[in-house]
Amino acid sequence: MGIVVLSAATGVAVVAAAFTAGRLGYASPPWADRAYWLGQALIVIPVAMRLLSRRPLTAAQTAALVIVLATAEYVVKLCYSPLGFTFVDELAHWRSTVNLMHTGRLFTVNYMLPISPRYPGLEEATSALASVTGLPVFVSGLIIAGVAHVLFVCVLYTLFRHISRSSRIAGVAVLIYASNPDLPSFDSMFVYQTLAVAFLGLTLLAAGRATARQPALDRAGWLILGLVAIAATVITHHATSFMLVASLALVAVASVLVRNWRSAAWLASFTLVSAAAVTGWVLLIAPQTISYFRPTVTGILAGIRALLNGGALTVPTSAAAPPGNQALAAAGVLAMSALLPAGWWQVWRWYRRQPWVVAMAIGSASWYAIIVVRLVTADGSELAGRAATFVFIPASLIGALAVSRLIGAGFRSWRAPVVAAATLVLALALMFDGLVNGWPPYWERLPGGHQVAGFERSVGPEEIAASQWTLRWLGPGNRFAADIGNYAVLGSYGDQDPVRNVAYLYTSPAYTAAVARQAQLLAVRYLLADWRLTRSLPMDGKYFVVDPRAGHYTQPLPAADLAKFGRVPGVARIYDDGNLVIYDLSGGQGAP
Amino acid sequence: MRRNQADIAVAAVVPVVYFGAATLGAPAAVLAVLGLVLAACPGYVWAEVLLSPQVTGLERAAVAAGLALAVPIIGGLALAAAGIPLHRTTWAALFAGAALLGDAVLLGLRRTGRRAPPGARQRAPRLATRQAVALGTALVIAAGAVVLAVAGATRQQHPGFTQLWLLAGPHAHTASLGVSNHQGTTTRYRLVLLHKARVSATWNLTLSNGQSWQRVIGVSDTGTVAARLYRLPDLAHPYRYVRTADRSPAS
Repeated sequence: MGIVVLSAATGVAVVAAAFTAGRLGYASPPWADRAYWLGQALIVIPVAMRLLSRRPLTAAQTAALVIVLATAEYVVKLCYSPLGFTFVDELAHWRSTVNLMHTGRLFTVNYMLPISPRYPGLEEATSALASVTGLPVFVSGLIIAGVAHVLFVCVLYTLFRHISRSSRIAGVAVLIYASNPDLPSFDSMFVYQTLAVAFLGLTLLAAGRATARQPALDRAGWLILGLVAIAATVITHHATSFMLVASLALVAVASVLVRNWRSAAWLASFTLVSAAAVTGWVLLIAPQTISYFRPTVTGILAGIRALLNGGALTVPTSAAAPPGNQALAAAGVLAMSALLPAGWWQVWRWYRRQPWVVAMAIGSASWYAIIVVRLVTADGSELAGRAATFVFIPASLIGALAVSRLIGAGFRSWRAPVVAAATLVLALALMFDGLVNGWPPYWERLPGGHQVAGFERSVGPEEIAASQWTLRWLGPGNRFAADIGNYAVLGSYGDQDPVRNVAYLYTSPAYTAAVARQAQLLAVRYLLADWRLTRSLPMDGKYFVVDPRAGHYTQPLPAADLAKFGRVPGVARIYDDGNLVIYDLSGGQGAP
Repeated sequence: MRRNQADIAVAAVVPVVYFGAATLGAPAAVLAVLGLVLAACPGYVWAEVLLSPQVTGLERAAVAAGLALAVPIIGGLALAAAGIPLHRTTWAALFAGAALLGDAVLLGLRRTGRRAPPGARQRAPRLATRQAVALGTALVIAAGAVVLAVAGATRQQHPGFTQLWLLAGPHAHTASLGVSNHQGTTTRYRLVLLHKARVSATWNLTLSNGQSWQRVIGVSDTGTVAARLYRLPDLAHPYRYVRTADRSPAS
């Protein structure tokens, strides 16, 4: 065990060294990238080998392995951005937290992610910690996100152990869950899902524990914990609270299917309470949730309709990943797709009277659903990726049942070493698929110099200073046109209201009356022109949040497309720092 | 049977110590540590209240952490609904109140024998010396990794830049003109103000890194006011350029 812990810590140090190399200008050389993967291997492989080995493991050792893995990956995330939040959603929540701390009120306006203040759990917890400790919002946010991340993994392990009655299977299930590409990103960043999934796990654990035969006081304890966790989930994140209701309902249905009426009654009660809480919250506090999800649901339905009618599938809007990444993604999909039927067979043989396992088996079928969503829906990869957090919960347990059976069967024959090696390779393929195709994207794997229209690497001192200047001199909430790289910084540090659909402003050679009218319709007051857009292509294939030419740029934007604003009567050039120029369009609305 | 209730006492004392330290103006590091303990207290106490003694180890720790996180979420919402602003004192009072209320309930449960103090529960397996050394070493290595990452991020070279701005206000017929140096070194500039393309004012500026210069200037209703910033000694090429909107009738 000591070696595993030391190896993980060394792995973190090697990754941190690779990150530092990237920051010092060595992000491109292959050796820096290899150092990163060496570090990840030092973290992941010893844990996987120990969990999948034939040597006996105590429950405490298994739990320790799970905690080591979760903590090490969180520290890696911390080392990526050690001085401040840089991911777009983290910046949005940072803004909401700062607003809460300044005003002392909930539900303040967040122009960048308007739905987030309506789910203020993360901001409340962070603001409370920052207030009582005096620590900066960034440090407090790291503590809250880190605790929530490790808590989620621990609760998942405890839940799996409770369901499978085996710490080994639970450990393997968490190992497989760690191949979920969201775990090191959306489930460990300073975003509301990170905190909400921990409460989702706690609710499921409480629901599972409350159904056991026990003294009334102990049951009451689990029931109260369940209610608290439901409330915290609902206050914290919309999608997670929907998934909570669905999960509880699924276990209730599975309990009916296996004729466990006691479990069915308790789970139905939990489902009703959580459904009522979600409905009440959406109707009374966050009615904009419906419009927030409408485009997503419409997109999925349209994609499915197109597929059923034999129409064309959606064209991907992002740059294609390198072939190696795609091959690993395909291998991961194939591996999990093959494991699930084997796991279902184990469920049928050994667990078909256990409602939670049956529910997990039914739920794991959603794995195939997200593959379909990925293929047929606009931004399907994004949707499938975001759904992975929830889909992987049942899929990882069912996969673990299959893997554990493989190892167990192998132990009794001469094939043991082969089976053990094959199982390890399978698990590692899954885990590295999650890391390779997760976040950050491959072109920002290592931190480094500024990246045009990127994500974390588009957030630097120059962009932050410009955004802070807008807040100080223009005030908050101005409608701003900006490229995708400056969008998040303006919306967070600048507290501006960046407009998503602005590509037409930047991609036309003249500021025509039609362009001016369109800007007027969207109430665009200011425009930020980043001249680096005329020097580099965007790595993700798009310059703007909504970009009709995404994936089709073959050369940077023509300089004339940005220079045109300097010639428009009535348009003022109010800010210039060399790369970033801000124009006030208010006087040129009727141009030319 | 005599049982150790030290945890209840600690949970009751922490809020008192925190408020005392805050009132006396204790150093930031002390308040940070006390604040972390204060924020963790309600989770620990309520986990003791809600969970039976059979629940131990990781599961108990997870529930305690979850409850600690849930207190500000649910409590903050309740306070906000009551119209109480969520500032430092409010949050501290919330944590303290949740811990003390839990303490009272826990004391009652333990006195009636329905909850057992930590000493009466099954103990978690102790770390062997070798494992403790490995864990300690791992923590030092991980901390070193974070320090390395912070040092790398701090030392990362970013291109320097200079901000120049000119925007209407704060009063009618005035505009704010400013320069801010972020070149990473002390820099000399010449700022030239033009009205209707004629030089109306000139300033020679020497700004240290991070230093700003600003003025409120008068502007007329007609014609463009522009500002050119030169980075000395180069007076041939404007380094930065801003201007007001051209509102002259001819345009």
